[in-house]
Amino acid sequence: MSSRLRVLAVLLTALIAQATLLTEIRIQGATVELMMVIAILAGFHGGPERGMFVAFFAGLLQDSLISVPLGLHALVFPPLAVAVSSLEQRMVRLTPVADALALLLASTAGIFMIVAAGLLFGLSPFDPSVLLTRILIAAAMTTAIAIPVNRAVRWAVMGGLPPEIKIRSIDS
Amino acid sequence: MAAQRPANRPRPTLLILLAAALTLLTLQFRGLQPLDAFQQGVRDIVEPVRTLSDRLTDPIQTAWNGVFDYDALRMENERLEIELARMRGNTLTSEADTELLSRLLSEVDIAYSDFDTLVVRLLGRPPGNFSSHMVEVDKGTDDGLKEGMAVVTGAGLVGRLDQVDRSRSLVQLATHPDFKVGVRLVTSQDEGLANGTGTEGLVRIESGVRLDAQVEHGEVLVTSGGRSLFPADIPVGRVLDPDSDADYRRSIIVELSADLENLSFLKVVLPVQQTGVVR
Repeated sequence: MSSRLRVLAVLLTALIAQATLLTEIRIQGATVELMMVIAILAGFHGGPERGMFVAFFAGLLQDSLISVPLGLHALVFPPLAVAVSSLEQRMVRLTPVADALALLLASTAGIFMIVAAGLLFGLSPFDPSVLLTRILIAAAMTTAIAIPVNRAVRWAVMGGLPPEIKIRSIDS
Repeated sequence: MAAQRPANRPRPTLLILLAAALTLLTLQFRGLQPLDAFQQGVRDIVEPVRTLSDRLTDPIQTAWNGVFDYDALRMENERLEIELARMRGNTLTSEADTELLSRLLSEVDIAYSDFDTLVVRLLGRPPGNFSSHMVEVDKGTDDGLKEGMAVVTGAGLVGRLDQVDRSRSLVQLATHPDFKVGVRLVTSQDEGLANGTGTEGLVRIESGVRLDAQVEHGEVLVTSGGRSLFPADIPVGRVLDPDSDADYRRSIIVELSADLENLSFLKVVLPVQQTGVVR
């Protein structure tokens, strides 16, 4: 299966999961931002170029599913994927804890960016009294679901990329 | 760690994608029909899966609510018990209130119950984190529904249909900040424009009502009709704060008569000529 087909399969599966099971699972009204975590992980595993394309189409599907103008999430997700990719390339050593914290940070930033973009384009369905709580809970839930999603996104976006090359010194 | 990738220049590509997203947003705000159709098509494709999933995941949802919303359920139970006791103790008062409302409505020839309506079932909140003051119902264009139709309960106005797909619709509740409806004060006959406050159970009238108009606390409001998409004379609520001391811009706070927090079945008000719909 080509990489594009795998990405398409992951995106459509995620769209259905977001529309069905994840919509029902809420804490304090907040739910998982599955398409966002795919955008973030696509940037992490696939690099900036591939990550931003996956993120763009993930955003378009998210825009189609929920009642926002087409292009709102597609505007936010690609820069997020590029930022995560850039951060990943600059990290000297990655540990699971650092990965989780980075993902939490990226999710929180991403949701803030969506709110900001929404307000910029005149959308006002945000209840200020619960907004911060909802953003933090949604970001935490999004981070928590990243473990199974991570495997799927890595499978989808890393097809066709050259394997990791380890450089060793002559002395060793 | 992720695999090393060949060096590339993402900036121009990123700018192109951002420009594409901005173009889509601009076209959507300009009302380009194919984009709406695309969004609706995606939702229609996903819809059968959602319906099936709703049935299959109902036990999971119940268990989830039991775990994470236990406190809310307990509070809701206590609230309902108190409410039941209060209602039993104040039956006479309630009847008197009902009579008062009926009398006020009859004074202006209101026949609220005569509207042609379609009963819809509440499905819950729409997907996503930022759909406050919106709910999803189980009927759509296949049942003759259209955007803008008024949604009511027996107690009064709930909201309007905001997004109508083939077999589902989104209802924008009256408390949504973007919700607007023309209203008429039953006693003073002043008309104004009410809009959602983003606060549960409250709407606000900030334009239309004269500064010197006599507005009483508890006065009943109904929809004004006229050029509004809503039919006239749907009960909206009662004046909570008439803001009689305003010296420049009046802001009248209205408590909605319908309880938007505990909805299960709603009624969509159909246009007068649409009588062939199966109910």
